[in-house]
Formats: sequence, C-alpha cells, structure tokens
Amino acid sequence: MNAVRVGKRLIGAEAPVTVGWENIPKVQGGPVKRFVFTWFQPTVLFALVAFWYYAPNSIAKASTAIAIGIGFKVLLLALEWVNPRHESWRLTWKELVTDLFYVSLGYTVLAMAESYIGADAVIEAVQASFDWDKLAWFATMPLLLQALAISLIFDFGQYWMHRGMHNWYPLWLTHAPHHFITQLNINKGAVGNPVELFLIGIGIGGFFDFLPRAVLLAGTLGLAVGTYQHINVRFNTPRWWRFLFNTTEHHSMHHSQDYEATRSNYASTWIIIDRMFGTCVDGEAELLGMEGGRKMSIRETMVYPFTEGWKTLKARFGRQTPDQDRFGEQTFGDHAAVPAE
Amino acid sequence: MTELPARNLSLPLDRAAREAGHGRLPGEHSVHRRLFDWIWSIRGNLALPPGQSADEAFARLDPLFQQTGTSHERTGDRLTFRKKDAAAQDKMSIFDDGVLRVEQGVLHYRLASRALLFCFLAPLLFLAFAQFTIVIRDFEKQSAEASETSKKPEEKEVERKLHPIDIALGAPAPEKPKKDGAEDGEDGDKGPSPTPAYVFAGLFAALYAAGRVLEDRLVKSLFRKRLLGS
Repeated sequence: MNAVRVGKRLIGAEAPVTVGWENIPKVQGGPVKRFVFTWFQPTVLFALVAFWYYAPNSIAKASTAIAIGIGFKVLLLALEWVNPRHESWRLTWKELVTDLFYVSLGYTVLAMAESYIGADAVIEAVQASFDWDKLAWFATMPLLLQALAISLIFDFGQYWMHRGMHNWYPLWLTHAPHHFITQLNINKGAVGNPVELFLIGIGIGGFFDFLPRAVLLAGTLGLAVGTYQHINVRFNTPRWWRFLFNTTEHHSMHHSQDYEATRSNYASTWIIIDRMFGTCVDGEAELLGMEGGRKMSIRETMVYPFTEGWKTLKARFGRQTPDQDRFGEQTFGDHAAVPAE
Repeated sequence: MTELPARNLSLPLDRAAREAGHGRLPGEHSVHRRLFDWIWSIRGNLALPPGQSADEAFARLDPLFQQTGTSHERTGDRLTFRKKDAAAQDKMSIFDDGVLRVEQGVLHYRLASRALLFCFLAPLLFLAFAQFTIVIRDFEKQSAEASETSKKPEEKEVERKLHPIDIALGAPAPEKPKKDGAEDGEDGDKGPSPTPAYVFAGLFAALYAAGRVLEDRLVKSLFRKRLLGS
C-alpha cells in the first residue's frame, strides 16, 4: 500500500486513501450538472441563513426548522441518486431501512430519555444552581455573531469529545459501532450506539443565553454544512468552504479502513478546528469500515460497548489462565476493539 | 466458502424423498407456514435459457455466493446458502439464507430475509413507543397538577432588543415577553409527544410494502442478468 506522509504521520499504509485536493475527482457530466453540483452547497447555505435572518417570528420556530431539516434530507437523498460519489456507496433498501431505524430511535425513545437525563437536563440543573445573568451580554451581540459563536462553541466541545472517543478506551467502546459503516449516506450520522449519541450531544453552548433566532441560525449552519459529512454525492466544493468546513471528503478519510487516517478530521462542522490542532488531513477514501469492512448488525451495535467492556474487564481483573499476561495482548479480546491510542 | 460435489451425503435419504414427494425445496415448510412466511420469504421461478444445464446455471450464479460472510452448499440440482453480517455492497445482502433448485429447465428459489421481517414488525414497535409516550405524558400531567400549589414563582422574561446592525439590516425584532396567563404557543403543550412514533410506524409500514415488491423484482432481475450473462 502506498502511504503518504502528512506531517509526522503516514496515511494510507493499511487501506487505500487519496490525499490532497488536487487528486480528488471532479464532477463529471454536462455544463448544467457541473454548475449545479458546484454551486449547490454555498447557495443553499446562504439561502437558509437569509431565510432564518429575515423570517417573521411566526415562522422562525423550532417546528419550521424540523420541517426544513426533513425536506432538505429528502432532497439530498434524491441528489445521492442523481450524482453518487461512489457506486459502491449506493443506498439499498436494506441500508435505508436500517439507517432510518437509528434515526427513528433518535426522534422517539432517545429524545425522551435525553429530556430527562441528557444534556438538556444537565444544563437546566446547572443553570438553576448558578447566576448566569452575567452572560446575558451575549444576547446583545449581532445575530450572525451570536450564531457563529454558538456553532463554534458547540463544535469545539464536539471536537474534543470525538477526539476523546478515539483516544480513551471506555469512550471508544461507545463510538466504535459508528465506525463499522462501510458507506456514507444521508442518515449514516445517526448510526451508532445510543450512549454515544448522548455523549456527542453534550455541548457547552447551551449554558449561554442566546436569542432564539441566533440558535436557529446556528442550527442551520449544522444542517447546511454538517449534513455533508455523511453523503454519497460528488460536489465541486469551493476552496474556501473546504478550508473552513468539514466535507464528505474529510469525513470519508475519518471513516477509512486505514487506522492512521481515522485519527483525523474530528470536528463536526468546522474543519478549521482540526487545522488549529493539527489533526486535519485533506483527502478522501472509498473503502470504509473496521475489521476488513465487517458489517455490524443492529443488535451488536446496541450491546457492543457493554459486551466488549465486560470482556475487557474480565480479561484484566478476572481469573488468569497460564498463557495470559495480566496486561498482555489478549486483554482486549479477539476483536479490534482496541483503544485508538 | 464450501462447494460440495454433486451430492450431499449428509442429507438423509428419507427426508430428501419426502421433500421431493411434496415438490418442496429442502428447508421448505408446510403449507400452513407458507400462509404467513411470505412476510419474510421471497419465492420465484425463472426459465433458464434454452440448453443451459443446472451446472452452467449455478456456475453463472456462483459469484453472488462468493461474498464475504456467505457460505453455500451445492447438492445436485440444489444450492443452499447462508449469509452472516453481509456487507452493504453485497447485492444479496438483504437475504440471510435461501435455497435455489433447477428443475426441468426452470430455476426455483426461496430466499429468507430477517430485514423484511423486522421491517414488517417495526410499526408495532413504534406504536408501542407511542403508547408508552402517552402513559409518560399523562403521568407528568398528573404530577404537575399535584405540585401546582407548591410551584416556585417563575422568573420574569426580560425584553430582548436587537443589535443596531441587525435593526439596520431589517431583521424582525424579538417577540415581547408574554403577559401572565397567556398561552405559550408552541411551548404550551409541554411533555413528550407520541406523533414521531406514529409517523415512523407509518413510514416503516410503507417501507415494508415497497421493499417486499422491490426486492422481489431486484433479485429476479439479478438472477436473470447472471443467467443470460448480460
């Protein structure tokens, strides 16, 4: 395998990856198709920002945001059909149903659990315990600045949580199932163990006092940028966009079967955070997954952190067989649930 | 991947004779079970091109069973396969096991899919979630009414103002705080809502109907393309 040196590391030693924007294919087809898939992303982003900035109060509500989010995802599913990035990532009926099952858990049982024990409940409790009025000045800033601050603060939290998941074994166990996906499609962001979804949703942005419209504007940044992490569409993404924002290319690299490549591009929306901390690798990968691309079933996804955690505890603290070293290789079992570092 | 020679000696002769007598595929079930196993099973027939033998037909279909996580057995004019954790890229990933038989120039197949079965059952799961949500919501309402008297006085909302830049750009001003006792619009009906669960129950029911028809056609077309070699 031809590995490429990026900074101090060798990327692509274990699985094929493409490093460098100059090596990434462009949109193929006629002028109309190339025009659409070049300008789609920035046009939608600016249109949505303008909509939330000027929409009357009667429309600027969370329910409108949910409706737009669903409609946008349906549109992107259609784009996946028209202009797939890779044929091998084509959405099948089974993949669609499986992905939607995880999405549906997020909207039903997880949403309910989140309201009692998730980030919202924690924030409410903390806010009730301290005087947060001193942060009220935040709501007096210009709307777009507030939105930018919310988005960056939240993404900063997500970056470190995600990076922590790749570096600390207990957190990694919750995140590992998400890395068993072998293709990127619109709803793949929801695929994973529910414990992980709790953890990744925790953000410190919730402590500040924002204008509701600023929160909706920040949400639209997540929708019109973050959604492209998991999508099977080839875009000619503008240079400024891929410098600032996360893209399918960056995230496919993160999901590569190459171990070193997975240790990059942790941010959700702002790839510039990865650039700041030296974890950004510009490029893409088609061959995704873990353990050679083994598919993980829904049942295994649900129990994986607990079964693997139990195996590890048993191996470390249980009765030792003569051929087992207390801290030897077997302590992590046969599977590849080894901590990422 | 195991491919056995022409005959599987492990198949008891009496069972083989019984199955042949009933015209069933090995592993097929009684007529009673067929009344409901259509939910997760796809059956079909496909005429082989003139002059194509069973050996040739199975040789053409063989790449479909050379996928990661797939094992198969050939016994004469029958082929059985089983899949475990098939990759998303496997064209038959929806199926977990199945039987194919060539008889008098026709390929007969029965393919079983847990994905179809789970999708068929998913609406029931989400209807149960909806009922559970209603129970929780009612319980919350009752406990809220009970503690109404001991409720702490709510903090008064402060009137928010836009930054001069936003006023100049024409952004709508934030809503003024509502007067005491006024309905709170969207937030008025607090508590978990069963609506998403109902929506997903309907969605999975529609997806099952579409998938049952679509996958039937897709697998037939896949076999046809392979057998014709196009």
